[in-house]
This record gives sequence, structure tokens and C-alpha cells, in this order.
Amino acid sequence: MLEHAVDVRREIVIGAAVDEVWKVVADGARQAEWFPGMVSSQVDDGIRTIVTAVGGFLMEEILEVDHEARCFEYRITGPMHLDHHRGRITVLEDQDGARVVYEQELEPKALVYVLDAAIGDALEGLRDLVLDGRTSRSFVAVDDRTDGPATKGAA
Amino acid sequence: MGRGILFVTTDQQRYDALGCNGGAIARTPVIDGLAAAGIRYERAHPQNVVCMPSRATMLTGQHVRNHGVWMNGVPLPAESATVAGLLHDAGWRTSLFGKAHFEPLLDPFLRFPENRMGVTGDTDDDGKPHRGFEHMEFAGHGSGGPNHYGGWLRRNQPDHMGSFFPALGIDLEVNSEGGGESGAPQVRHNPVPREVYHTDWVADRAISWLGGLDLDDDWFCWLSFPDPHHPWDPPASELHRVPWRDLDLPKGYPVLQAEREAAIDAKAAHWRHWYDGTLVTNFEAPPRWVPATLTTDQVREVNAMAHIQNELIDEALGRVLAVLDADGRGNGTDVVFTTDHGEFQGDHGFLFKGPFHVDSLMRLPLVWRPAPSRAVQPSVVSEPVGLLDLAPTFCRIAGLPVPEWMDGEPLPMSPADAGAQGRQRVLTEWDSVHPGGAEVHLQTITRHALVCTRYEPGTCHDGTEGELWDLDEDPLQLVNLWDDPTRRSLRDDLVGDLVDALPERPRTPLGLEAPV
Repeated sequence: MLEHAVDVRREIVIGAAVDEVWKVVADGARQAEWFPGMVSSQVDDGIRTIVTAVGGFLMEEILEVDHEARCFEYRITGPMHLDHHRGRITVLEDQDGARVVYEQELEPKALVYVLDAAIGDALEGLRDLVLDGRTSRSFVAVDDRTDGPATKGAA
Repeated sequence: MGRGILFVTTDQQRYDALGCNGGAIARTPVIDGLAAAGIRYERAHPQNVVCMPSRATMLTGQHVRNHGVWMNGVPLPAESATVAGLLHDAGWRTSLFGKAHFEPLLDPFLRFPENRMGVTGDTDDDGKPHRGFEHMEFAGHGSGGPNHYGGWLRRNQPDHMGSFFPALGIDLEVNSEGGGESGAPQVRHNPVPREVYHTDWVADRAISWLGGLDLDDDWFCWLSFPDPHHPWDPPASELHRVPWRDLDLPKGYPVLQAEREAAIDAKAAHWRHWYDGTLVTNFEAPPRWVPATLTTDQVREVNAMAHIQNELIDEALGRVLAVLDADGRGNGTDVVFTTDHGEFQGDHGFLFKGPFHVDSLMRLPLVWRPAPSRAVQPSVVSEPVGLLDLAPTFCRIAGLPVPEWMDGEPLPMSPADAGAQGRQRVLTEWDSVHPGGAEVHLQTITRHALVCTRYEPGTCHDGTEGELWDLDEDPLQLVNLWDDPTRRSLRDDLVGDLVDALPERPRTPLGLEAPV
């Protein structure tokens, strides 16, 4: 459960079955398919490692995957230091399909605006993936992965 | 032979950084030479004292309220018209090298095109000009961040990726750590070789691009040096240029604590709160650094570092100009030199910047050396001008009409020209919200030697506060005349003028998408 006040909250209604949306959200290893700016996301023993398109990575601990409440909760553990973080994605019934609510709380709050905008993009990415099968801008399928972002241009 | 506009900017540079403006520490013969041959402006102000709003003003020629970038972290809309776009559409070759910052820099998910270009190494936006620039190569304040310089350094000098001071800490706040010999915040002795430091890299990339043009091309090149913005970490090999222990303290730094704090208390309340470390109003200064702890040695060392950075900029600019002179294009090239905003550098007992409208942050170096082929008479203009006048000036140089969406007008070329234009005032505004809760709004009018700031209600101010400075009587801005009953009518006149001259705020402010 969230322990602090929510700092950022975005939601979207996706015209698809709730279970179909939840199936994607509940699979933490698929997050890079729908979260723009993530190149890959792998889960090993409850720890999710995300490679970001900027060339860095995020370490996250998956705290809970509640299939009954359709709620996915995690926290960022590194490499940046946050005194506190919780992320929570909830998939709810809606008359037009599935309502997805994405909330985060964090301290310090330097990333509040970054995460707010990013999860807005992410929910749109989730919609595109569920409805059209389109993966996000920077997602790289396993077979196409390289060691990092391309480097070209100025010598 | 084509015409050229070389637009040179630094980041966070003070008016007195240059010899031509009375600076006596950094040697800046190249810029001083441009001033001697052209027009030097003694009262040039930004329309906002942090990077993104100010740079958006330079690119659009608009007040902050009209381009909409009301604080750092608000991206300039992709569809915004720009002077680079006008020049490109008119057939000019257009480029930018160095720091752009029209879009947020703190962008871990690469939401913004500039950062994507910086990571991929692309020099345009999927084959199209970006904001009117056909070629862009970015640099930031060190090796970090998604920019071309960082990628270049990683490929060519990987051992120096960790040499620079990390501008952000591990918590992604502005790094409050100290260094150097005095423990001053954001200071480091940087072992990076001078020739691979970002100042020279910016010049090298511009020289390369200029060398690829046809001599008949008309061109606009924005040479945007990231220094002397903190971190203050110039190459250690250059520290001999300005031994910090030999420096006098800046005139704007009241040495006596009682005098310093009395001057702070004469200003609006947030000055004292920041000084004491009880308030963080904005992201641009280290949140855990307390200005009251600033020592005289730290003031000296920060100043020395900034002056060294200024000298390196001057020399790098000299290399670019030498290339243009050597191939004959210099004679047809206008050079405009300025910065986006100033830096406290010890004034009033502070470093960095924020919602503080005093000369340290508002009075900027501005020099325009018209193309020598035009044989313009050198001049010094003391009437107020703003960075919003730059884009119209570029239009004028290029022979293009100044579009109605630009708020500024071409810079005057002489005092008589300024008089004919009716130059009376320049405006600067600040709006900010901070995740910690602080909200600050202030607007300033500068009318010759009078600087008047009003504060709108926020979390620190109730709307009655203000500052009124008479720079003729009080150039160091120590005596606030806002509550002086003998100046009440003057204050009312200035505030009325300010309100009349400022555009309306947009009904819906643009979204804040990052802290910086």
C-alpha cells in the first residue's frame, strides 16, 4: 500500500478488456514495451533492471503483484538515491474498457515533474501496445539489442 | 562571398566578466576587440534570469509570457516560430553548437528531441531542421547528460568521463558538494586536458561546420559556450592564470557579516530565508548549500575559476574568428556576443542564481560587432535593451522584415539610434513553483538607473513587497527605496509603467515537465 501522499498521478481509459490490459501491466518484464525511453526491462528474482534510452539504467524492486486487485507496486532502488519511492499501477473496470491509474510518490522531489510527464507518455504507450500492438519509441526487442545507444555524428 | 551572423553566447556570465566592461581579472582581448570595433551595450537585461526562459527569448524575440517558457523545465513548444527558422527559410545555412536548452536537460526517458539527438549523435531531427537549425551539436556542463560532447568524450577520452564535477548529485538534485582548495560548492580541479574541454570542443565543431560551407553561403551560427556556468571546473592546467588567493573580494560582497545581513534584510523576505538555509525556491542552486556558510576564500576561488573559464571562452572565440578572417568571410560577418543571465559570484553573499532581480543576475555583457564591410561607427549604448531584441536584430542584419510575433526590435547602433527608437525600459520577470512548496512571482522594470521589482503573492510574499534601487546613488543595491515615502510617487510610476508594458499572462500556462 502507498505510505505517503501521492506526488504524481495519471490515468487513462483504454478500450479493451480489463484482463487484457492487466496481463500486460502485471508482467514487469514487459514494461519497456510500453514505457517510452526504456530500452529493456528484465526481472530476476523480484528485481527489475531497466536500461534507459539515455544510456543509464534503473534498478527496481517489485513489491507486489496483486492479481485480485489488479495492482502492481514497485520501488526504485538505484542507482540514484531516493529517500523514498513507491510506484503503483492499478487496472480498474470502466464502462469504456479499462481504467489504468499510475501513481508515484517520492522523496526528494526533484524527479516529480519528470515522472509525471513520463508516466503520462507511458500510459499512452500502454494503450498503443494493447490496442495496436505498437511498442514504445525506444523499446528494443531481445534479438535487436546492442550494448547501448548508437553513437554516430561528430567524430 | 556570403554574409554571416556569428551569435556567441555564454551561460551565466556577469557584465564585469569582460575587460571592455571594466573587468580587471580575466583577459578577454578578443571580445574587447569586438567591442572596440562595434557597439557595446551598458544596460542589457534578460527577460528571465534562468536558462530556458532566457534562451527561448533569444530564439523567438519574445517576452516570456508570449513564448510561454515560464521557468526551467518547460519546453519551448515544437511549433514555436524562431529566428533560426526564418533565416533557414530565407536560404541561410543555420547551426548551433554547444548548449541549446530549449528543452529540459533532465530527461532520463529521452522524451525530448534535443536529448535524443545528443544520444544518437544525429545533428538534425530525423533529417529535418530542429527549431530552424539544420545542424546542431550539443554540449552541457561536463561529461554527463545526453549530448554530443559527452558521446565524443566517451569515445575519445573515456578516462576523463569522471574528471568533471557532477553537476547533479546521486539524488538528482543540484550537487551541494564542495571542492577545490576552499571547499566552495561546485568547484573541482579538473584533470581533463584543455584541448578536450567543452569550450574548445564547441569552437572546434563550429569551425568544422563553417569549413564545410560554400564561401557564397549566407550562414547563421550560434556558438553557445556552456561556461562559466557552474560547476566551476576548468582544466587544472589553466589554474595558474588566476591564482585565487591573490584576488580581491568583489565589490558586491559586503565583507562584514552585519553589513551583509543588513543589506539582505532590506530586500524581500526570500533573500534572508535562502541565506539562512530555511528556504529553497528553485532548482538552480544546490538545495543543501547554505549561503550563510560562504567564506571569503570560497568567494575568491569561485571567482578565479569563473575568470579562467572566461579566458578560455575568449580564446576559443578567437580561433573561430581567425578561421573566418583567413578565408575572407570575416569581413562580411556580424558577431553578437552575450549571455543568457548573470551569476552572483559572491555579490550580496550568494552564489548561483534564482528569483533575485539585481544587477548580478540581470546586467549582461552584450557586444555587437557589425560586419566590417558595413563600416559602422563604433559606439557605446547606455539605454536599456533586452535579449528579446536579438532575434529582430538578426532579421535586420539578414535584410528580413521583423515579424509581428517578435516583441523586441533591432538593437540600436548608437545612442542617437536608441533615442530615435524611444528606448526607455527593459522588463524581466520570474515565476516559479518548487516541489518543496515554494512559489515565487516577481517582475522588474529597469528604466535607466532605476530598477523596480514588485512581488506578487506567493508562498514567501503577500504582494506588498518590492525593491526599488537607484543605481546612480547605490550601484551595489544595498539600500532598498521601496518603502521610502519620498520615493513613493516614483515607485508608483515605475510599477504603473511595468504593468502597462508587460504582456498578459497566457490563460493556460505551459506544462512543467522537468526541474531543469
